[in-house]
Amino acid sequence: MHAVIINGSPRVQKYSNTEKIIASFTKGLTEKGVSFETYAISDRQSWEMIREAYRKNEEILIALPLYVECVPGLLLEFLETLPEKDDHTRLSFLLQSGFAEGCQLRCGEAFLEKLPKYLGVRYGGCLVKGDNFGIRMVDKEKQEQITKPYQAMGELFAEGDGFLREEAKRFTGPEYFSLPIRLIMQIVFRTLGKKMFQKAAASWGCHTPLDEKVWETNSECGKGEGGSV
Amino acid sequence: MVLMIDTTTSHIGEQVVEELLQRGANPTEFELIDTTGMRISHCVGCNYCWLKTPGICAVKDDYEPILKKMNRADQVWLISDTHFGFVSYQTKNIVDRVMPLVTMYLKVKDGQMRHVMRYDRQLDIGVIYTGDGDQAYLEWWCKRTALNLGSRSLGVFEEARRKEAVLCML
Ligand SMILES: Cc1cc2nc3c(=O)[nH]c(=O)nc-3n(C[C@H](O)[C@H](O)[C@H](O)COP(=O)(O)O)c2cc1C
Repeated sequence: MHAVIINGSPRVQKYSNTEKIIASFTKGLTEKGVSFETYAISDRQSWEMIREAYRKNEEILIALPLYVECVPGLLLEFLETLPEKDDHTRLSFLLQSGFAEGCQLRCGEAFLEKLPKYLGVRYGGCLVKGDNFGIRMVDKEKQEQITKPYQAMGELFAEGDGFLREEAKRFTGPEYFSLPIRLIMQIVFRTLGKKMFQKAAASWGCHTPLDEKVWETNSECGKGEGGSV
Repeated sequence: MVLMIDTTTSHIGEQVVEELLQRGANPTEFELIDTTGMRISHCVGCNYCWLKTPGICAVKDDYEPILKKMNRADQVWLISDTHFGFVSYQTKNIVDRVMPLVTMYLKVKDGQMRHVMRYDRQLDIGVIYTGDGDQAYLEWWCKRTALNLGSRSLGVFEEARRKEAVLCML
C-alpha cells in the first residue's frame, strides 16, 4: 500500500495540530511497512502538486480540523478543484477538533461520508476524535504524548480497511460526557480554565481580558475600530 | 435588523430584496451585502482573535466591516451557491471567520461544550441557496452552527422558496 496524506488545515504546517497528528499516524504506517507521501493545503503553491498526487494514487487520506461544524472554507475551495476519478480510488478522512465529545464532530463526519460520491471515488471511512485544541499550546514532549494514540490508528489503517473497522469507530471516545463530569468541567472552565487561557495569551504578548468587548469599549484606537496586529 | 450576505454568482440576493419590498418591508430594517469583488480571505486559524488581539481578526481585508454588521444584526441570512450539497467555500469562509465574536472561554451548555460569546447579542442565522443543495444536511449544519453561536437557525430555503424565507424576515 502507498498512501497520499493531505493535511486539510488552513493553519501553517508549523503550528498545525493536524500536522502533529499526521506525524504520529504515519509512524504507525511505517511500522507496518506502508509508504506514504504527505502534503498540506495551507500552502496554495503546492495545490497543483497535491492534485497530481491525488490523480495518480488510489489510497488517499485527508486529515483535517473541524471548522464550524464542517470542513474549513479553504479545504472546500481545494476540493472544488479536484479532478473527477472512479471507485478504484479510496478516500478516507481523519477528522479532529477542539471540543472533546464525539457528538461535536458528527455533522462534519456526515459531510465527509457523502463527499466521495460527489468526487466519483469510494469512501474509506472517517476517524473521528476531538479534544485536540491544545496540541499547539504545549511543548514537543506533551504533543507526542497527546498524539500517541494515533500511531495505533496508523497501524490499523495499514491493514487495508481504511477506517471502516470497529476499532476505528471506538477511537472517538465518549459521545457525550456524563452529568457529573459536565458539572466538574463547568467549574474548571470558570476558574482554572480561564486562568490557563489568560496565561497562554500572556505568553503571546496579550494582556487584555480575553472576553473584552472591543467593539463596545475600545476608544483609544478611535471609534471602536479596535487595533491592528 | 436583517442582514443578507450574498456570495452567489447569479446575485439572487436582489430578488430576495425585491420580495421584501413587495411585502412592505422597511428598507431601513434590512441590508444586502453582495460580496462580488470583495477581498475575503479564508480563516487562517492563527487564533489571534482569541489569544493575541481578543475580538480582532489578524487578516486585514474586506471582512471586518461585514463582521461588525453581523454583530449588530438580529438575523443573518447566508445566500449561497452550493457544491457537494453544501454551501460554497465563499460562504463557508464568511462563517469560519466569525470567531472574533466568540471568546476562547468555555462552558457547558445543553449537555455539550461551547465557547462563551463575546457580546450579549443573539445572531440567528438562515440559509438561502441555489443549485443542488442537500436540504436535510444544510438544515442540520445551520442548526449546529447556530448552537455554537448561542442562537437559533432561521431555516434553510432553496432559491425557489425564497418567499418563505422572506416571511421569516418580517
Ligand atoms: C475557524 C475555526 C472553527 C473551528 N470550529 C470548530 C468546531 O466547530 N468544533 C470544534 O470542536 N472545534 C472547532 N475548531 C477547533 C479546531 O478544529 C482545532 O483547534 C484543531 O485541532 C485545529 O487543527 P489545526 O491546527 O491542524 O488547524 C475550530 C477552529 C477554528 C480556527
